[in-house]
Amino acid sequence: MKTRHNIHWPLAIGVAALATLPFWAGNPYQLHVATLIGTYWILIASLNLVVGYTGLLSIGHVGLLAIGAYTFAILTGNYETSPWVAMAAAAVLCGACGFLLGLPSLRLPGFYFAMATMAFALMVTEFSLASDGLTGGGTGLSVAPFNAPFDSPAGLYWLVAAVAGIVSWLVWNLARYSWGRAMIALRDSTVTAAATGVPVFRVKLAVFTFSGVTAGIAGALFASLQSYITPETFVFELSLFFFVCIVIGGRGVIMGPFVGTIVLAALPELVAPLARWGQLFYGVLLLLVVLLVPEGIGSIVRVLRDKFAPRQPEKHVVAPDLPRLAAAIRGGRRP
Amino acid sequence: MTQLCANGVTKRFGGITAVDDVTLTLAEGEIHGLIGPNGSGKTTLLNLLSGYYPIDGGALTLGDTPITQASVQKRALQGIARTFQKPRLLGSLSAWQNVMLGSWKHSNAGFMPTALALPGMRRRERQARDLAYEMLCGVGLERVAERPASMLDHAEQRFLEIARGLAMRPRFILLDEPAGGLTEHEIEQLASIVATLREAGLGVLVVEHHTDFVFRLCDRVTTLNLGRMIAHGTPREVRDNAEVIRVYLGA
Repeated sequence: MKTRHNIHWPLAIGVAALATLPFWAGNPYQLHVATLIGTYWILIASLNLVVGYTGLLSIGHVGLLAIGAYTFAILTGNYETSPWVAMAAAAVLCGACGFLLGLPSLRLPGFYFAMATMAFALMVTEFSLASDGLTGGGTGLSVAPFNAPFDSPAGLYWLVAAVAGIVSWLVWNLARYSWGRAMIALRDSTVTAAATGVPVFRVKLAVFTFSGVTAGIAGALFASLQSYITPETFVFELSLFFFVCIVIGGRGVIMGPFVGTIVLAALPELVAPLARWGQLFYGVLLLLVVLLVPEGIGSIVRVLRDKFAPRQPEKHVVAPDLPRLAAAIRGGRRP
Repeated sequence: MTQLCANGVTKRFGGITAVDDVTLTLAEGEIHGLIGPNGSGKTTLLNLLSGYYPIDGGALTLGDTPITQASVQKRALQGIARTFQKPRLLGSLSAWQNVMLGSWKHSNAGFMPTALALPGMRRRERQARDLAYEMLCGVGLERVAERPASMLDHAEQRFLEIARGLAMRPRFILLDEPAGGLTEHEIEQLASIVATLREAGLGVLVVEHHTDFVFRLCDRVTTLNLGRMIAHGTPREVRDNAEVIRVYLGA
């Protein structure tokens, strides 16, 4: 825990580079990919709290993304709602869906929870196919752009980048204070969590609902970026992709999944020969990470350091400071 | 003076009665020892007090409040902390963060205030961090405060778990075999810590096999055998009890 207020240079340079990306991106397609990664990250950042921090194996978030995207498309297309209102509505609706999905399923043990979220994603796909009056069925829907100045590729990029920045900040706060400790306790030991008074179910439900809200926002931006959505836009592989980004990036850290998202989304798009091998590329990378660095690429630096310069556990003699202990207990007990 | 009371508490697992009609009171400012042979129900009784199992008979009260139906979390928030036979720490977090987990009740300001890092939440976090540091210094762990809990040695993990319990600002703390696996020197340190807890007004229940440790430190001692209470009283009374000698202490 750091209380220093020094500027974190790598972070500052990274933020500056991302903020000016439209000026140095090589071509419009690269900008499009960058915007796409931004929308993915809005979803993945909070999914990371669910999967990486709380240890809940949700593989159905593409369902929430789809609901957010269709909500945005239907409201702006059929009812001429302002894109901002439509995005807010997508966030609220997906938050409610997350809440209602979590209410029964978060009590299930890990594997069954994963199955429940998968069933949810498959149901959303079937629903979007079947109710063609609302969603256009298999033909899909065209999606309105945002208002100026966010209607240009660069404008939309900045909007997505700003939202992604805000979501990252919220996620970072949740991860580094009391809720982060509670989430990690739920992941590593529910017995410990309960013993310290952490309300197991309530924390899970709040985190899962939050991930629904950001998935809705991501869905709205995603739909506007794609400008046309069909049920095939939201294939189940996309859900696995989100999950794999977190596993490859490393659980319990924020930067790891961020790097994971960029690598997994950008490499197949930007390195042409990889495009044909996209799924194989994910598979190979996943296999390598799980076998070599099971804690994710975020931990590579630490794994290498421990390998080449292992830290000797120094033995300290434990010497309690009893007066200080008594004072701390009395101080804590004072109402 | 608040008391934590178990009144005629019974717990059955299938056909086996693990705890059979046991009555025990733990007052603030005393150390109460719980001894007995393996399988006598000591840890089960501790789990009944902290709420991990529902009881099949009898009643539990904390002061005037019945807590028989209360969840583990509720009892923790009402002031009952505990440690485990095998320390249950969050290995990837620092020792300091582990202690701060204990202050959930005092540091949690709600989901939205935390997400938005509101000043009130950050103030609570600072207070929790300061109190946790005092606790770490108090049990002698300030030099490993920033180290991941999984890197600590066994004694440090035991003391860290006590510090985490204390960060809950409890009225009672239940210690499950705190001396297990410690060296003579470390047991001395533990004894001084437990005595300090009493001095600071906590009620301490110690489940322990080191009878020297128990008889030297405790104000009262309860002995269980096969789930039943066979003796109860001052250390001297219990040590001289014929049945305790027969089933547990040996001649």
